[in-house]
Amino acid sequence: MASVRAVLEFLADSTLKTGLPVPVPMEEVYSWAIPLGLPRSGRVHLYTGALYQLMPYIERLGRYLESLEGSRSAAAILRLARALIAAPRFTRTLLSPEPQALERPRAILSRIARFLGAAGYYVAYPYEGDLYSGVLLYDMGLDDAFAEVASRVYRVLKEAGAEEIVTVDPHTTHVMRSVYPKYVDGYDLEVRNYLEVLAEAVDSGRVRLRPRVREVVIHDPCFYARYEGIIEEPRRILRAAGVEVREPRRSGRMTYCCGGPVESISPRLASKIAETRLSELREESKTVVVMCPICYANLSRANRLGLRIIDIAEAFDVEV
Amino acid sequence: MTPEEAAEWVSRESSRCMFCGFCEAACPTLPLGPHRAYGPRGRVYLAGLAARRGELGAEGAAGIYSCLLCAACVERCPARIDIPGLVRAARMLLAEGYARAPGMVPVRVL
Repeated sequence: MASVRAVLEFLADSTLKTGLPVPVPMEEVYSWAIPLGLPRSGRVHLYTGALYQLMPYIERLGRYLESLEGSRSAAAILRLARALIAAPRFTRTLLSPEPQALERPRAILSRIARFLGAAGYYVAYPYEGDLYSGVLLYDMGLDDAFAEVASRVYRVLKEAGAEEIVTVDPHTTHVMRSVYPKYVDGYDLEVRNYLEVLAEAVDSGRVRLRPRVREVVIHDPCFYARYEGIIEEPRRILRAAGVEVREPRRSGRMTYCCGGPVESISPRLASKIAETRLSELREESKTVVVMCPICYANLSRANRLGLRIIDIAEAFDVEV
Repeated sequence: MTPEEAAEWVSRESSRCMFCGFCEAACPTLPLGPHRAYGPRGRVYLAGLAARRGELGAEGAAGIYSCLLCAACVERCPARIDIPGLVRAARMLLAEGYARAPGMVPVRVL
């Protein structure tokens, strides 16, 4: 297998030098926001941490490294990392993610921004400053690199005037809310997740939703359910939209991981875990709703059961 | 947290484990792995070894890096040991060179 150390160095090197774990031009991260004309500065910022946008690349990189498994490839991986950091445009050519896979997260983020607007939550967006949070470096124990990344991300958000950020995925939410305060001196950003904002708006009647699917089985991401206690919010939103929510055998705090976090270490282990989870989810519905780009990528990759996997932001619309 | 502080915390937190094994039923990687280092109880023990002895075997390192940090084990632990925190700290000790692993065997899947 590709040496763990080499993979970690790839991710750390790229994040420190380019702000992103896989070196791609920054437009790949913020282009979704241009048509919406979100302002650049303001008190409340939508901070995506680039995870949705980069998942198609991270996934392809995982497969590329998997193809190197079995060979003595650590040095090759490091050479590759250096070449791509120097020429990030080449990453797209090398990894060639499907155009549709790149388009989907952009559409999801655009929907989320519009939901927030409908809830009266007008957000600014940092564009080039929507850097990766470094959460994977933290998970892998690369504390020095992570601390450096965290300080930079915090500084960039503060310079844009942010006092509060709205996050959109479980890993970024957890790291910004519960980990950054331990690593960044004077950290004072208030962190809210968009599902919390939207659930509140739905409860108070400020927003009305309508369904885009009739029935779903819900897959709780570990980091919402067990680390951040975000369990009821997505259910309240879906039910308010008129979507029938079915629970799998293991749900809420007892949810079962999609396998995604181990993808960069062992793609095969990640796939096997995803297969187990998919067979549990299939017992309740043919449509699976996920809330995390890592869950989406890993479950989709292992989906040989013909299930329809959608992001929660694709499950409903705002009534105008 | 410095590696020394992390090692001290790991040593303390891991020593709270009574090896009851309730955590193992919840772990997604254990049934797919070749031995108990792929499960929470094994990882808690290994993290303790990394902190106290400053050294892990190649199979142990594979166990530490194969963890998802999904925290399903924590829900089953009667002592509420911070198992993902221990795994992460063990990775930090390895990354910082505080603990050494002579290499790491590939993560195996049964």
